[in-house]
Amino acid sequence: MEEMKCYMPKTLKEALEIKSRVDVIPMAGGSDLMVSHKRTIGLTPVFEKPVMIIRNLPELKRIYLNEKGECCIGAGCTSSEIASNTLCPWHVRQAASRMGAIGLRNSATIAGNIANASPKGDTPGPLYLLDARVKLQSVNGVREVLVSDFIVKFRTIDLRADELITEIIVPYSEDDFDYIFWHKVGTRKANAISKITVSQAIRFEEDGKTVADYRVSATATGSKTNRSRDVERLLIGKEISSDVIEAVIAGFDQVISPRAMPEFRREATRRMIRRFLSQAALHPADKVIDTYDEYHVTGQPIPRG
Amino acid sequence: MVTGDISKAIRRVDAVAKCEGTVKYVSDYTFEDCLWGRLVRSSIPRGIIKAIHVPELPEGYRFITYKDIPEGGHNYLHMIATDWKCFAENEVRYVGETIGIIVGPDKTTLENLKEQIVIDYEAQEAAISIEEGLACKGGAFVNDNNIFCSLQLDVGNVDEAFQKADKIVEETFETGYQEHIYLETNGACCKPEGDGYVIYASAQCPFYIRKSIAPLLGISPEQIIVRQTTTGGAFGGKEHFPDVLCGPLLVAAYVMKKGVKVIFDREEDIENSVKRHPSQVKFKTALDKEGNIIAMDSQVYYNVGGYLSSSFVVLQRGCFHVTGCYSFPNIRTKGFGVATNAFPSCAFRGFGAPQTLFAVETHMCHIAEMQGLDPLEYKKRYFIKQGDTTSTNGKIVERVMIPEMLDQVLKASDYERKVKEYKWGSGKGIGISFYNHGGAFTGNGEQALIKGKCRLHKFADGHVEILCGQTEMGQGFHTILPKIAAHVLELPIEKVIFLDPDTSRVPDSGPTAASRSTMIVGELVERAATLMKPRYDKEEDFVVETQYEHPEGYPWDQSTFQGYAYLGYGWGVCAVEVEVDPCTAEVTTKGIWSSHDCGHLIDERIVHGQVNGGILQGIGWASTEVMQNVDGHFKQTSMSDYIVPTSMDYPKQGVYFVENPYEWGPFGAKGMGELVFNGSGAAYIDAVSKAIGKRISKIPLPTEEVMNYMLKGQDLKEAL
Repeated sequence: MEEMKCYMPKTLKEALEIKSRVDVIPMAGGSDLMVSHKRTIGLTPVFEKPVMIIRNLPELKRIYLNEKGECCIGAGCTSSEIASNTLCPWHVRQAASRMGAIGLRNSATIAGNIANASPKGDTPGPLYLLDARVKLQSVNGVREVLVSDFIVKFRTIDLRADELITEIIVPYSEDDFDYIFWHKVGTRKANAISKITVSQAIRFEEDGKTVADYRVSATATGSKTNRSRDVERLLIGKEISSDVIEAVIAGFDQVISPRAMPEFRREATRRMIRRFLSQAALHPADKVIDTYDEYHVTGQPIPRG
Repeated sequence: MVTGDISKAIRRVDAVAKCEGTVKYVSDYTFEDCLWGRLVRSSIPRGIIKAIHVPELPEGYRFITYKDIPEGGHNYLHMIATDWKCFAENEVRYVGETIGIIVGPDKTTLENLKEQIVIDYEAQEAAISIEEGLACKGGAFVNDNNIFCSLQLDVGNVDEAFQKADKIVEETFETGYQEHIYLETNGACCKPEGDGYVIYASAQCPFYIRKSIAPLLGISPEQIIVRQTTTGGAFGGKEHFPDVLCGPLLVAAYVMKKGVKVIFDREEDIENSVKRHPSQVKFKTALDKEGNIIAMDSQVYYNVGGYLSSSFVVLQRGCFHVTGCYSFPNIRTKGFGVATNAFPSCAFRGFGAPQTLFAVETHMCHIAEMQGLDPLEYKKRYFIKQGDTTSTNGKIVERVMIPEMLDQVLKASDYERKVKEYKWGSGKGIGISFYNHGGAFTGNGEQALIKGKCRLHKFADGHVEILCGQTEMGQGFHTILPKIAAHVLELPIEKVIFLDPDTSRVPDSGPTAASRSTMIVGELVERAATLMKPRYDKEEDFVVETQYEHPEGYPWDQSTFQGYAYLGYGWGVCAVEVEVDPCTAEVTTKGIWSSHDCGHLIDERIVHGQVNGGILQGIGWASTEVMQNVDGHFKQTSMSDYIVPTSMDYPKQGVYFVENPYEWGPFGAKGMGELVFNGSGAAYIDAVSKAIGKRISKIPLPTEEVMNYMLKGQDLKEAL
């Protein structure tokens, strides 16, 4: 068996102190790292650097609302913990509850899902949508960065050598919107990787017609999660019409750049945007709009794209 | 005491140990002074080995190749053909071909050494797909046309019928690879013992291993003892493939004079093991003025890969099943096994039949839909019956209960209401398929080739041991066979012993394959127990032996493939209902209902389990289980990118049976392990194609392909 050096700090302070002087790989859930470093049966994984296990640091396990009412999720919270905590925004709960399999959700953490910087990651889509920030701490201080800036590109994050992700701060929740949408097309119904996931939210002005806020993000449609405020502005301040919907769809289509199965990913994205906006314009009673509400079950033809 | 109807479920004899986790699998066995082995394989699909650079090896480590095969030994594995080499010599034909095995005492050291082995190749252009194989891309490497094997079957006069035809429709169907994903990966250990060798292996067919690898050392099969270890699933993937692993192990054990063990991890197993044959089936079907089928001409192509091994037999079964559950007056079937530089294909539940059954079922749907008819009404016209002629000019011997089974499925699924209500393209669809599977080896193969034998041994303490080569691999045979013996002998099941086979202790009763174990070996046990019964109380310790006898009057010619291919078929009807998400093309399966005829059930819970699993495995093959071969490498290599269905993906199934005792089976039982795979894919595709209103002719069909058909597919009513 090969030997490896492993740090197991008991407090965040200790962890930051180690991070400040040793080049370590922080590991919490291990659901990405243990898999990517595994060797054949019976052999221990080989890591190129020492590993620091931060799985059970109590400072990273809290979920609470801060004084501004923003939801703060500890970096070490698992998907299961997030999915079952109603303080967490709806979109984030949805993504957490459909990540991988049950065993993985009990182990995988939100910070790991962000730091892995995979374009197929489940939580970045909602976090981009809701302007979430990561809190980065080191012995020298604290800074906050938008998740969408923190993930620089495929497998690359803006993390300094002495820093740890300690918290995810989500300033918006479903209460800030009139209608919300989250839909993951997985490879299957359980233990699934995303083929495409679209998150959307909309709020109307008091007249009930003019769009005050609209957001859309898509996962697995490029080298990182996609969101474009320019595209969203095509709708803000206007009423929903088929022309505007098509303009948003065309605009977002320019933003995404799926490499594998591009026709499918583009078409499904278009259809999900069209579905959400056209339904929202009808002001249904339910806040949650999904792709499919049995609305065509009586044998009416599928609306064509 | 086991009495009453044998169908009544009993607790599986292996249930407690498997749930408790006390069962030992091959990776749990430890042997003193045993070495570890790692196979070193080709990383290119076709080329010449120019040099092998092996690092300096510490004492006790050794890299073993074909050069270590002793004088008098032969570098091949005797499967059905003998072309598959144990070790590549100067040429490689596929990615994953064994070049050598590195062995040594410490796993980590061994792994580090293995990573340092470098092989220089002169790469050649490779043919991977059926088209590339047929086009002899890179030059033919088998015969002058890359055709490994072929056959032709003629019934009636196809040419004459085509001349009379009002319309001729042509269609091509394609099916993809399928990986077995047995829960337990492949593994084996070989150690010298006495003047021979003992092999412990996760395997379906211990006697196959012995026969296959003995020629490597020029020894007799009897000098090798194979002991099957508890096997965690196989599905055909451990029928011949263990030979590919045990061959190098035998040579290594011979060289090192020590035991050597190899256990594959999951990625290694997926990347370097056999798969279901990808297929192309081309139909030319002649219709008369009323749209009735007067002749069917089909060409069946299977992607065999780099070596033939068992593929000709797989192709034969595919061709025999190409007319499905239908009777046509004129049939011509041509089959071709195509050589390619892909990993060799081999047995997988259904053994060639699912590909052609999917094709004919879907073709029948399309012919009906093109005429504006519901496929069910059209298919009904052609249901085969007792006494009808088969694709091999034999007759159907038994009563065919498809009408009764259809009634059960129609009632349970509410098919007739739904099929009227769900318009084509409405997003909802219900499909139905009909299928069969010929039980046991083709024709008189059980008598001519296998000559299966079975023994029952009564001990003085009243216990009875079943001695045969049949293996438990999860399908329930450790329960089924003792149950048959206990019923005949009127003993408690605990009194009947049936252990994992050891080839030095048991007679060769043939492979655990071909849906033959219950039907054929079950009958041998039933007969032996019947012979034992009158002597049971009178004698203390004695043995009874039985051997297979083929019923008279059902001729078969294996050289022309003419005659009675199968005496007893399993029959199936399956309906599947789906909804398709109009935004995302996701398919949700809303209902699955099936009825099967497997003669008389030996244990209804075990059969029920086979139905549930087989149907889901069949839908997985037709929907999410995409396995691509890119430049010779399988692209999907883990459980997260090779998408086998989970229990979350499908609803509870409605499972029905008909009672149709088989004259020559134990308690009237027939084979059913493969049958239950054969038709669900076609029913699923029928349902999806009606839901989206588009004609589907290629599987698997993951979500993105459903979208593709929604956008670009041909409408069901378009002319073919």
